[in-house]
Amino acid sequence: MSRPTTTPTPLARCLALAAKDLRVERRSGEALLVIAPFGAVALLLAPLAVGVDTPLLAELGPALYWLVVLLFGVLVTLRGSAVDGPHQRAMLALTGVGPRILLAGRTLGNVALLLGFELLLAPVAVLLYNPDLTGWPWLLPVLVLVAGGLAVLGSIADALAAGLDGRTSLGPLLTAPIAVPLLLGATGVLNAARYDRPPWPWLLLVVTVDLVAALLAAWCATHMEDVA
Amino acid sequence: MTPDPHPGSGPLFGRRLPAVTAAAVVAALAAAMMSPPDYVQGELVRLMYVHVPAAWAAYLSYAVTLAASVGWLRRRRPGLDRLAAASAEVGVFFTGLAIALGSIWGRPTWGVWWAWDARLVTTALLFFVYLGYLALRRAIPDPVLRARRSAVFGVVAFAQVPLVHFSVLWWRTLHQPPTVLRPSDPAIDHTMLIALLLGVLAFTLLHALFVRTRCRIAAARDALDADDETRYRPVAGAAVSAPEVGSHV
Repeated sequence: MSRPTTTPTPLARCLALAAKDLRVERRSGEALLVIAPFGAVALLLAPLAVGVDTPLLAELGPALYWLVVLLFGVLVTLRGSAVDGPHQRAMLALTGVGPRILLAGRTLGNVALLLGFELLLAPVAVLLYNPDLTGWPWLLPVLVLVAGGLAVLGSIADALAAGLDGRTSLGPLLTAPIAVPLLLGATGVLNAARYDRPPWPWLLLVVTVDLVAALLAAWCATHMEDVA
Repeated sequence: MTPDPHPGSGPLFGRRLPAVTAAAVVAALAAAMMSPPDYVQGELVRLMYVHVPAAWAAYLSYAVTLAASVGWLRRRRPGLDRLAAASAEVGVFFTGLAIALGSIWGRPTWGVWWAWDARLVTTALLFFVYLGYLALRRAIPDPVLRARRSAVFGVVAFAQVPLVHFSVLWWRTLHQPPTVLRPSDPAIDHTMLIALLLGVLAFTLLHALFVRTRCRIAAARDALDADDETRYRPVAGAAVSAPEVGSHV
């Protein structure tokens, strides 16, 4: 007697796809063993360009950290190991995985990787720049929200640039200018907390960007059948 | 009645629209020259009559790109894709013009060519967002795939436009807040307002002329590509080679 089969829920499918992306990342190590050290190199090189002025670097540190997170985080979302071949896409389509589920799964995987990326770089930035960490608990929601927003925008850009020759250079051009409100919000929260001003308007900006990006992703996924 | 084999082979610029545009440009220039100098900025205020209309034309272009992109996703008509692309190209041109004119205006007013002002920075970002849109189009050779992906990005990219417009209200900046597009009475002398509105009209017509011309060029190129594809398509039996006569005689 055969076991009755149950159709997995959309959330279960998203989680399965995200887990697949994370397994592929564990094998390739592209995001956390290549892009993260590259980001750390950028954090190390910036003071050499600015000049070794310790108070100035302490002032600039958080901004440079978020800048590196934005620019190199885009590379995490566009990593080569996240590319599904035509056969994988065909198999997913045959098993009933729709474009929305595919984009959501990719985004979930990206959120996890971006969080790891941010957490790897944060101690490096603290060590190199010795910034004023007043109001650091505000950093926790900001880390999650920035990872979420960047993951959604990166997944959209990844879907738009999928299969193109200039994918790795086109993707950052599509994502980085749109993701700037995340950078403004992230730096604004810490600055506000430092100067004893309410940080929630900046947090609200990041939440708004995340929501708008998620709505746009849900809408545009239905028009990206060729990617799914 | 036979269909036109070259749908894009009509007159490139047309006659009436260029004439009307030229008349509007002349009228706008005359109004800009005749309007009074500003109490604070003096003659420099005349830059406003090209800077503001250029920014308006840029917003209009991106709105047309948005509408045409949504239209393509619903109707899948190639003309809408051409319209979206043409309007984005024209928008990038007008955004660049607005930034350049703003920079020229900023030098004597603020003392610098570039200020880290919210409106300036967000406009520069808008410029790069639509450069990305054009880069995406260039990267995709297949016309249907190109139309679909650029239509999606055309909608996503427009999210930046309100950010540019409201940036002067949300952040404390050097740039002045809206003087015309605001709920209360415009905070500008009415003679200046008329000159400004004439400038806006002239730039709107310029936008329409540029977009129409660019659409016609794109249509002609598409027709040429389709023609080439038909002409050089291998015919049935082309793979069969004819025997050489007389080689074994």
